[in-house]
Amino acid sequence: MTADLHTLTGAYALDALSPEEAREFARHLTECDVCTHEVAELRETAARLALAVAEVPPAALRARVMAAIPEVRQLPPPGRVADVVPLRGRAWRQRLPYLALAACLVGAAVAGGVAVNAEHDVDRQRTQAEQQASDLASLMAAPDAAYHTTAVHGGGNATVVSSVSQARTAFVYRDLPKLAGSHVYELWYSRKGSMVPAGLVDSGRPSGTAVLAGAASGADGVGLTVEPHGGSKQPTTSPLMLVSIAG
Amino acid sequence: MRAAAREEQPGAPRPGALETLLDRVSRGDRDAFESVYTAVAGSVLGLVRRVLRDPAQSEEVTQEVLIEVWRSAARFDPGQGSAMAWIMMLAHRRAVDRVRSAQASADREHKAAVRDHSPAFDEVSEQVERRLEREQVRRCLGQLTELQRESVTLAYYRGFTYRETADLLGAALGTVKTRLRDGLIRLRDCLGVSV
Ligand SMILES: [Zn+2]
Repeated sequence: MTADLHTLTGAYALDALSPEEAREFARHLTECDVCTHEVAELRETAARLALAVAEVPPAALRARVMAAIPEVRQLPPPGRVADVVPLRGRAWRQRLPYLALAACLVGAAVAGGVAVNAEHDVDRQRTQAEQQASDLASLMAAPDAAYHTTAVHGGGNATVVSSVSQARTAFVYRDLPKLAGSHVYELWYSRKGSMVPAGLVDSGRPSGTAVLAGAASGADGVGLTVEPHGGSKQPTTSPLMLVSIAG
Repeated sequence: MRAAAREEQPGAPRPGALETLLDRVSRGDRDAFESVYTAVAGSVLGLVRRVLRDPAQSEEVTQEVLIEVWRSAARFDPGQGSAMAWIMMLAHRRAVDRVRSAQASADREHKAAVRDHSPAFDEVSEQVERRLEREQVRRCLGQLTELQRESVTLAYYRGFTYRETADLLGAALGTVKTRLRDGLIRLRDCLGVSV
């Protein structure tokens, strides 16, 4: 029976055991580090399945929840004070670059979620957003899609998603600091050491996604710099990030 | 979005934003809770709705889950996994409890019909980030064997026990147990999950 128990990690992580079995397995976890670690990993994995089916909640739900919580008494922390620096959080963020924990993303209402910061021209932007969403979808679905996540110097982090078969690259960014004045973030393809402009990052919000302009063919890296308003033909500052996409 | 709060410390290291927020929530910070709400409500609702199907019940349970997050934020232990995994665990358990307590409902009586329509992914226009996540998960689900995929999705998205799942799939109990585990392990590796 004990040998058999170890194989229950999957069913346990998915809440697929009967209450009795779950209790028995929970007891087993108190004395089996291997299963405990595996359950933790499989729970993280299951959470990804939940993120993949996210919906837009009705506004009334937020209002109801926010109205309810002042009445709800909070539980005290258990026993001793826990270390609040979440070691796992970092790993999660890196593995899950697109999950913008930032409140701003979910609130952005434009179809496709691509940043816009003006009321006018909504239709054109919506079309662009839909086009970009569809480009991204095919990029992500490509069997050779590769993900490179890195910190951005100066703040925030980014994931570069590239696919040779799609000849396309996306830049998914989180928490980029707002730039002073009219400066902009500019993307670059690097080809054998030379930098080719690949478009500006929408300045409307700190997190979002951009599909790089121009063809990815032959590119061995993707860079990000800060440039004056309108962008530059050549980088005028040193890269805040340089990601190799070769091979 | 809370632009002001976010711009206070642009260069500061940001260890798990959601974990930090939960810590503030545990000390009664309602603004932090609202940010948590914004970050997770969509996923909680989506998951609960997979399991319960009924929109009104799903909203009700989602509300319960979010209030539970507020109530028990102090019980979150970052040593056990991410805040997101913890919240999704609360959500899944509550949804599963609800659906199992209503075992006699018409929906559960028609188990046989389940396999015929299991739209794991709706094609709705939505945010790029969600789409990215969705595409990656779909790609990884696509790498499972059919039995692994069906076992995992029936258990997680529909809330079936592994016994019910085995019944539905006409597979042996031991087989489904194993497929749930090795299917999730393969997903874990494909998604690059680690703890
Ligand atoms: Zn064990």
